[in-house]
Amino acid sequence: MTHCRGQRFMGRIAVSTAIVLFGALALPAGATGAAGKANASVDGSESVTSGTWGAKATASVLTFTTNVAQTSTVANTGTVALSAVGYTVTISNPASGSPSFTIFACATAWSGGKCSGGTGTKVGTTYAKNTTTPVTSTVVPAVGGSVYLQATPSGVTSSVSMTLVTTITSAGQLRARVVTNQ
Amino acid sequence: MNEHRHSRSKPRRHGRVALAGVFAASVGLLTTAGVYAGLSGVATGSEAVTSGTLNLTLSPDVGAGFASFTGKMAPGDTNNVYVDLNNTGTLASAAGMTLWVAGTPANALTNGAAAGEGLTVTATQCSVAWTLATGACSGTTTPILATRQISTMNTAGTAVALSNVPALAAATGQVAHVQVSLGLVASETSVNGVLPSPTVQGLSTTLAYTFTEQQRVGTATNQ
Repeated sequence: MTHCRGQRFMGRIAVSTAIVLFGALALPAGATGAAGKANASVDGSESVTSGTWGAKATASVLTFTTNVAQTSTVANTGTVALSAVGYTVTISNPASGSPSFTIFACATAWSGGKCSGGTGTKVGTTYAKNTTTPVTSTVVPAVGGSVYLQATPSGVTSSVSMTLVTTITSAGQLRARVVTNQ
Repeated sequence: MNEHRHSRSKPRRHGRVALAGVFAASVGLLTTAGVYAGLSGVATGSEAVTSGTLNLTLSPDVGAGFASFTGKMAPGDTNNVYVDLNNTGTLASAAGMTLWVAGTPANALTNGAAAGEGLTVTATQCSVAWTLATGACSGTTTPILATRQISTMNTAGTAVALSNVPALAAATGQVAHVQVSLGLVASETSVNGVLPSPTVQGLSTTLAYTFTEQQRVGTATNQ
């Protein structure tokens, strides 16, 4: 019993010594901290979301076998307003003839070959067979909206196709920059 | 009767032994104390000391300060925020301050996943409060951070040093009126409505701006 008490007593001494040693070891750490330099930081946060830009033609390949105009609708698929739309117009090489094409854009749907009673706005130039031509149009669809293209052929004697690739490039074809002060 | 006497003698013997033990222990303690007492000397002096504080606060200068930018940001857009950085501690700060901007979540807006693209930040100090309506400074402007991609300063380890911050380096109580401009750089082409990959389009993140100042150089005083 006495032996047991002695062991406990020695155990307490050991624990006390460990605490004292720990304290002694901890002190220099505090002293080191005091010799260092203090920093002060402050945070602020803000959330931001980027927009998207793009446009897509509902009919990207128009095939002509006669000299009848065809239409395609170009929709703004992004969230940013546009200032221009790029088109790459490719005309295939038909088996015969030398057809050429024109494209007109209209802010409203074509009706009876007319754009609100007019001819619409010409997109680019005249497109000859077996060519690829990049052009831009300033008739642009609003966000969530569409513009309407009408391709008019002439000289078609055999099947020929027009492929429309629609491109939107930042920042040149996006709306003007916006500065916000808040 | 004998039994009674015999039973009395045992406790007495134990008592003597205990007394002798206490006596021996007392002698030992007194001797020890005497030795230590003979070797110790105590002198006391006192001085009062107060530690300083280093504190930096951030608050709106004009407008809402840091908040949500609700619009869909496009390349070339600028979102200006006006904040006051105030040294409210009792210690002056060292000349200089750092800033880093972390995005949560990290994405192509902040981590450089789309090379050369993403959010940028610019900081300018005005000698007086900014004019919110126009974003103009009626006093003197001092650029403290040239336009920089956030992807290059999005960790504490890549914090950038702000330049020309005299008002913040001076004594306590100084306020710096800072315009923090957020921009978006991107040169991307979407084809037939399909976004490129990687892209900075259609992403959201919350930016945490961390300004850090360091205390002035320690001083040695002889008195």
